[in-house]
Amino acid sequence: MTEVVTPTLLNAPTTDVYIDSIEVSVNQALSKSSQLYLHTSPELEMKRLLSKGSGDIFQICQVFRDNEQGRINSNEFTMLEFYRVDFTMHQLMDEIAELLAALGKNEPIKKMSYAEVFFEYSDIDILNSDINDLKTILNSLDLNSDDEWIEDIQMHLFVHLIEPKLKEIPLCFIYDFPKDQAALAEIHGPVAHRFEMYINGTEIANGYQEIQSAQEYRDRFNEELNKRKALSKPFEFLDNSFLKDLEGGLPYCSGVAIGIERLYSSLSL
Amino acid sequence: MNYSTSQFKNGMKLMLDGNPCSIVNNEIVKPGKGQAFNRVKFKDLITGKTLEKTFKSGESLEAADVMELEMQYLYSDGEKWHFMDPVSFEQFDLGKESMGTALSYLVEQDKCIVTLWNNNPISVTPPNHVILEVTDTDPGLKGDTAGTGGKPATLNTGVVVQVPLFVSIGDKVKVDTRTNEYSGRA
Repeated sequence: MTEVVTPTLLNAPTTDVYIDSIEVSVNQALSKSSQLYLHTSPELEMKRLLSKGSGDIFQICQVFRDNEQGRINSNEFTMLEFYRVDFTMHQLMDEIAELLAALGKNEPIKKMSYAEVFFEYSDIDILNSDINDLKTILNSLDLNSDDEWIEDIQMHLFVHLIEPKLKEIPLCFIYDFPKDQAALAEIHGPVAHRFEMYINGTEIANGYQEIQSAQEYRDRFNEELNKRKALSKPFEFLDNSFLKDLEGGLPYCSGVAIGIERLYSSLSL
Repeated sequence: MNYSTSQFKNGMKLMLDGNPCSIVNNEIVKPGKGQAFNRVKFKDLITGKTLEKTFKSGESLEAADVMELEMQYLYSDGEKWHFMDPVSFEQFDLGKESMGTALSYLVEQDKCIVTLWNNNPISVTPPNHVILEVTDTDPGLKGDTAGTGGKPATLNTGVVVQVPLFVSIGDKVKVDTRTNEYSGRA
């Protein structure tokens, strides 16, 4: 696996609906100033390399996010991001487990699909519930049901019903997210090949079997931008140079981002 | 007056489903790919039950007009328990169902905390330690001062507490009202 370094200052902000880029003004020749954006993750720049045939790559870098809140969130944190060509999502999870074992984290690993975790800790059939079913459940729990997008409602139920139960599990992988929460993971039927790793209820890693087609990236980005627009969030433009570089597509691969500070604080428990 | 999730802090008194509640714990959860939530543990000040709710960041709740005042327990007429604010001399009364564990520990003239909601008393918190008299207990074994096992003793409020074997009827004992445990001879 090759270590890479990619730019921190980007020409375009992230399109992620609930992640905000930090904008910076830079002065260029002839005092022409322009706006650049600190990367919120090295994902797209690393995918440029993958599309050019880099093979397996990793990077450990600082990433920056605006409007973060909470005890374990910060405007700057350290991310380990790596990609494995020809790996399925499950092979990648196995490799992360090996990495954790090498760091001394040897607890038994629980692996559950998103649907299974809901069956285990609630009686919700999450993949076969439409937005109205889920709103009815929120109402029965006296929780706010104003959200218009099913993924937001799924996450509200996850945070309320499931995440507190995960605190008792030392290490668990949740995979096969509903397709509505695909982010940039390949969709297979009702689920996306996306996974997250939780250590004692704290989200530590997020991974995908990556989308390969440039057109699919464009569609996902546009979908995200439309949602940012609906939420009156700033920054609504696409990184066209990324899409151009990706025209030949990405090799079949899986990738993951791991929050280093959260991981290390869980190791010293 | 409303408080939004960003203002939530422990001890804040808010209205939830028509009941005044106190925030016991407030945790912000921001899923990597999702919006931020506040996971809040509340204590219902009327029922005493705790409940957990998850709010979308930015939601708000109405403030509850709740005050905690130190008062003196005056007497009970069997149906109501009467208290007095020693500053204003205003008197308040509560029914048995609102007395909770205070029933087991308060004797006349004791100081305690009375919680008022919209100026109506809703609960009573006894002091952490009270001194009560033993009205009934088995005689202890002579010479046993180690207090290995302990024995039950009925105190003058009717509450039963485990006490060391050397404690006898008429003794005054100190009781921790939070745990209902003997904490020494008074």
